[in-house]
Amino acid sequence: MGQDASMPGGNKDRKKDDKKKEKPKYEPPVQSKFGRRKIKGPATAAKLPNVYPNTRCKLKYLKMERIKDHLLLEEEYVTNQENFQPTEAKQAEEREKVDDIRGTPMSIGTLEEIIDDDHAIVSSSSGPEYYVSILSFVDKGLLEPGCSVLLHHKTVSIVGVLQDDTDPMVSVMKLDKSPTESYSDIGGLESQIQEIKEAVELPLTHPELYEEMGIKPPKGVILYGSPGTGKTLLAKAVANQTSATFLRIVGSELIQKYLGDGPRLCRQIFKVAAEHAPSIVFIDEIDAIGTKRYESTSGGEREIQRTMLELLNQLDGFDDRGDVKVIMATNKIETLDPALIRPGRIDRKILFENPDPTSKRKILNIHTSKMNLSDDVNLEELINAKDDLSGADIKAICTEAGLLALRERRMQVTAEDFSSAKERVLKNKVEENLEGLYL
Amino acid sequence: MAPTPKDTSGSDATKHDQPLLEKDNNKPSSKDVTKKKGKNEQEEELSEEDQQLKEELELLVERLNEPDQNLYDAALQNLKTHIKDSTSSMTAVPKPLKFLRPHYPLLVSLYDKWDVQALKYKLADILSVLGMTYSDEGKRDSLNYRLKSNPEDDLNEWGHEYVRHLALEIGEQYQDNLENELTENNAPLLDLSLKIIPIFLKHNAEADAVDLLLEVEAIDKLPQFIDKNTFARVCLYMVSCVPLLAPPDDIAFLHTAYSIYLAHNQLTQALSLAIRLDDENLVQQVFDATSDVSIQKQLGLILGRQNSSFRFEDNEEVQECISNVKKSELFHYLVKELNLLDPKLPEDIYKTHLENSSFSGRSSLYDSAKQNLASSFVNGFINMGFGKDKLLDDGDENEAGKSWIYRTKGNGMLSTTASLGLINEWDVSEGLQKLDKYLYASEDEIKAGALLGIGVGSSSVHDEVEPALLLLQDSINGESAATSNKKLVSSAITGLGVAFAGSKNEAVLNLLLPLVSDTDQTLEISALAALALGHVFVGTCNGDITSTILQTLLERDFQELGNKWIRFMSLGLGLLYMGKYEQVDDVLETIDAIEHPISKTLKVLVSICSYAGTGNVLQIQSLLQMSSTKPTNKEEDNDDEETEHETDTQPAEQQDKKDTTQAPTAEGDSGVSGTSANEKKDSSTSKDDDDTESEGSSSGQDSSTPEDESYQGYAVLGLACIAMGEEIGQEMSLRHFSHLMHYGNPLIRRAVPLAMGLVSASNPQMKVFDTLSRYSHDSDIEVALNSIFAMGIVGAGTNNARLAQLLRQLASYYVREKDALFMVRIAQGLIHLGKGTLTLTPYNTDRQILSRVSLAGLLTIAVTLLDPKSFILDEHHALIYYLTPSIHPRTLITVDENLEPIKVNVRVGQAVDIVGQAGKPKTITGWVTHSTPVLLSYGERAELEDDKFISLASSLEGVVILRKNPDFMDED
Repeated sequence: MGQDASMPGGNKDRKKDDKKKEKPKYEPPVQSKFGRRKIKGPATAAKLPNVYPNTRCKLKYLKMERIKDHLLLEEEYVTNQENFQPTEAKQAEEREKVDDIRGTPMSIGTLEEIIDDDHAIVSSSSGPEYYVSILSFVDKGLLEPGCSVLLHHKTVSIVGVLQDDTDPMVSVMKLDKSPTESYSDIGGLESQIQEIKEAVELPLTHPELYEEMGIKPPKGVILYGSPGTGKTLLAKAVANQTSATFLRIVGSELIQKYLGDGPRLCRQIFKVAAEHAPSIVFIDEIDAIGTKRYESTSGGEREIQRTMLELLNQLDGFDDRGDVKVIMATNKIETLDPALIRPGRIDRKILFENPDPTSKRKILNIHTSKMNLSDDVNLEELINAKDDLSGADIKAICTEAGLLALRERRMQVTAEDFSSAKERVLKNKVEENLEGLYL
Repeated sequence: MAPTPKDTSGSDATKHDQPLLEKDNNKPSSKDVTKKKGKNEQEEELSEEDQQLKEELELLVERLNEPDQNLYDAALQNLKTHIKDSTSSMTAVPKPLKFLRPHYPLLVSLYDKWDVQALKYKLADILSVLGMTYSDEGKRDSLNYRLKSNPEDDLNEWGHEYVRHLALEIGEQYQDNLENELTENNAPLLDLSLKIIPIFLKHNAEADAVDLLLEVEAIDKLPQFIDKNTFARVCLYMVSCVPLLAPPDDIAFLHTAYSIYLAHNQLTQALSLAIRLDDENLVQQVFDATSDVSIQKQLGLILGRQNSSFRFEDNEEVQECISNVKKSELFHYLVKELNLLDPKLPEDIYKTHLENSSFSGRSSLYDSAKQNLASSFVNGFINMGFGKDKLLDDGDENEAGKSWIYRTKGNGMLSTTASLGLINEWDVSEGLQKLDKYLYASEDEIKAGALLGIGVGSSSVHDEVEPALLLLQDSINGESAATSNKKLVSSAITGLGVAFAGSKNEAVLNLLLPLVSDTDQTLEISALAALALGHVFVGTCNGDITSTILQTLLERDFQELGNKWIRFMSLGLGLLYMGKYEQVDDVLETIDAIEHPISKTLKVLVSICSYAGTGNVLQIQSLLQMSSTKPTNKEEDNDDEETEHETDTQPAEQQDKKDTTQAPTAEGDSGVSGTSANEKKDSSTSKDDDDTESEGSSSGQDSSTPEDESYQGYAVLGLACIAMGEEIGQEMSLRHFSHLMHYGNPLIRRAVPLAMGLVSASNPQMKVFDTLSRYSHDSDIEVALNSIFAMGIVGAGTNNARLAQLLRQLASYYVREKDALFMVRIAQGLIHLGKGTLTLTPYNTDRQILSRVSLAGLLTIAVTLLDPKSFILDEHHALIYYLTPSIHPRTLITVDENLEPIKVNVRVGQAVDIVGQAGKPKTITGWVTHSTPVLLSYGERAELEDDKFISLASSLEGVVILRKNPDFMDED
């Protein structure tokens, strides 16, 4: 019996040899999976377990602690092993080998179709299509029809995959530098600020509050109201305040020249947002694509509607978006498609109205605080006038007054400047209204 | 100028992130328009209402500061109302608190000046609230003033945020006191905590209540506060905390939850906790708590599922439930209802026609006896418990079965005969009838197989007579033992181990114990006896067996301790301590007395068993450290080898060997060097003269190697055993395994697939079997073998089509490797275990109870497979039958109070973790309505569709007794 135990070592090696001799033909180790399924494959194995419950409690803490402990153990083990048998050198060596096989001039082609585990049809940049082999070291998980691949210069076999990054247009939309406007630059709008904070910021920072209450946090808000009431300004302030990724687009940007580009862009935006979660997507002037659907013969119209449908899906579709909040802004909420603003997609509709006197005062203070005012200026007059002024109007009045002062080469803005500025601004406004009458 | 209430709270929200204001008044007037930019940022606009509030508050503070004591009371009262009335927004500090901030130091100094107790109380009350936001980190003013205030005050009037804050400070203070050894200060903290608990419980914050009591180490005070509305949530929370708590808190939690359940008459839940605590007195208490026979039967059925040894003397029927007498009958009912009566042939699940046809035709060429043996196992597994099959038992005709048996060779006949036991699992009398004729066969193998089959067939089913014991004991101490027929004895021992797993049967103890200690017996017999005893007395810490095994290890010849069988001796010892980590220290000390390197293995085995299912991170850490390889030794080792071989000055001696092996070297290294030694030997037999010597030494070393340093392999298995205790550990252990696979030496790599199988037995997750299928093509054939087997374990009893597909691919891939093909077949059999009605998972009752018997079975197989070629693939495949006690039906069968099956509609769906969720969330998701009996897969839960019946068990799993709901009104 004792002898048997001695066998495995020797046996094993002999077996290995046997196998090599006998092996009828090479068989790929595991059926490789092409394309997107990768996302659900081994990558998830490396994912950390989810921690429930979300409420603040010891249990959650203990679970987090436990994960941390395990990660520390892992780190300890790996560093120990790395010290004993460094893998870096080995990896470098292997990389060199792979580079050798790849050969130096490589060409770029497009993967047209995958035939089986190691063959595919590619089209090279010069035109013709080839049936080529895929080398074994290529990450098959990244291969999907339509992606760019590296081709060997002679055999044209696939030696690598060029990861197609997200559309550069999307990365432009990512806000790297936060805008300077903060909440303190907003006059009034207190309730709107509170609503947007509850709906957008708090779910990202304190998800447990909602969990404890047993509700799902709102997914998005729409800001609507007449022009110049500070919708975009508020969005800027949110961007300034939050540490989440802030993506901003204008609805019209989603309208593209080619068929299918608009929906694709839309998808990519949300993909980027999900990758960088937690994130906030701000879509300004949503009415550019979000108008009610109707029978239309024009291809362009239909494309726009399809873009909106993609947006609908992204907002509340089959896949959970996770920590992505959406802010939309529009002047004309009544023209929007009802599906777009139904609860579940957009849970909160925040109305922006023209400022009341208190807010007016605050807005005025904000704009005039940086101006040189002469002593005779009485802002209360402006505030108490019964004109229908929006925030933008007030700003325009201040700017106009400043311009008038400049025209007369004064360094101080007088009350007279203000009154004439107000007149001018109001006149423009009235003209606008008159225009409407003629139509 | 009409600020709405909305407006005020909104401005609050905007400003909370700016520095809070100093005391000065800034009136918003037209003059302010000319403010400079810098000034603007420091000052703040206040709406008129805020202004008014602020002034009012200031006035009140002023009044407190005045000498007139008569005004104090009213002022305080006023202040209190102000604070209470502030409707704060979620995002900001309530306004009165904000405005009172500058006055906080003043109020604090006032408190010290005053001397009227009543007023002091009131002020302290307010200060305590203010302290929540103002006091610096670590000062814990809030708590201090709460302790100084009137103990009669209602804490709840300040809102739950305040109570919560208080709880936080209590916890911190308590820990501080402990560290500074000021324990006498903790009494008031405890009193306060006990005041807070009811508030928490009333406000749906049972988690906070439990946490607070945990912090102040008074969890045992909890039951008095619990009522029938809260107990379920509280207990659920506590029980789910248990695996994450460090001892002794976990035990305390279980005890508390147990007493709550018992107090609220949730007997089945109390019972499952009692089982977890492994305390017979508690179990007895549960039984004593009711006189309802039906409930007692239900309790008995739960105990039966655990193969419990509990004896309930009062009622025969209840005892029958515990002894699983009805198990076979109910299983047959299930099979009939599910229309699975037709026996299947192994070919039905191999589906060779789907295999890659280019080679499958030739598979029969290779060692058909071995493949037939595999088919026997598979036949046993797929028809397990059905009582019928097509291969061995063709109607009444004896010859058909016999002829199949003769198509296997040697020990193959043993296992084939024994598979009849599997087919008639749980049905003792039928099994005996079928096996009886084989007892009189001429071949010893068949006789031995029949003995084993009897043991296997009566696994976990017991009655007064215990026919298995009667039949098997004869061959151990009867005449066959005298004729020293090893096969009969060892089969009988294994049969006993399987049949009486977990039963603590004294007769078995008396029968087997002498075999362990008798040094005249071969080591194989002794070790098997020790293993069988380990199974029978799993988790009992039986002192007799412990001392006997240890004694044997001390007495046995030094050489013998290197034998491959010795691992079962160690495992037997380990199983005794399964789940008993608090009692294991003495044994570990005793083990130190053994001088052989095996002591290390022994220690690892005992400690992994004792911590099995706890998820203990410290143990995992030490195990991981053990499995780190240290190449410094490798070089030395290699040097040693080289000197041995090249210089041939000195034949390697025992001492030398001992040195190399006792050094904490990485086992795989010497494994590798051992192989290289063998290779060298092969290639250079003619070259060197010393080879005879070195062969002797190296083979000697090799025979001892697997035992000497195999502790690393056990350590890996231990990782699985320990980590399976809670879900996080389970998932994280998979990460550890991938690292171990990456860095580990061959022995570790061999153990990793098995460990992965252990962690997710009968739980086919995509990521697990994907990884395993990758390993199944490993260049080290033993890793591949183990991976294949692990795939079987992972998918056991699930009929998982993807796994079946993978295994078919493997079957054609390994068509020329008879060992691998054998393993593939076994794995295929496991996947279709009982045609998909059975499971291997060691957890039951909502994944709460770890069945020690089940785990012991799984662990035994895993340990066996650490060296697959010396046991399973060699002559000792009968060890596979140790899986039997781990196999259970994965069903829900509903019965009435007379244990007659009835049909009701149940919803079956994926279980949802509802711990700590608000409201009454659904416990299952994605459910489908079935009529019982139904199969439950891993992670599924069932609930009754309507309330026509009341279930006597808390979790619908296994056999559940239903009682007609007296209040049920039919809607028609």
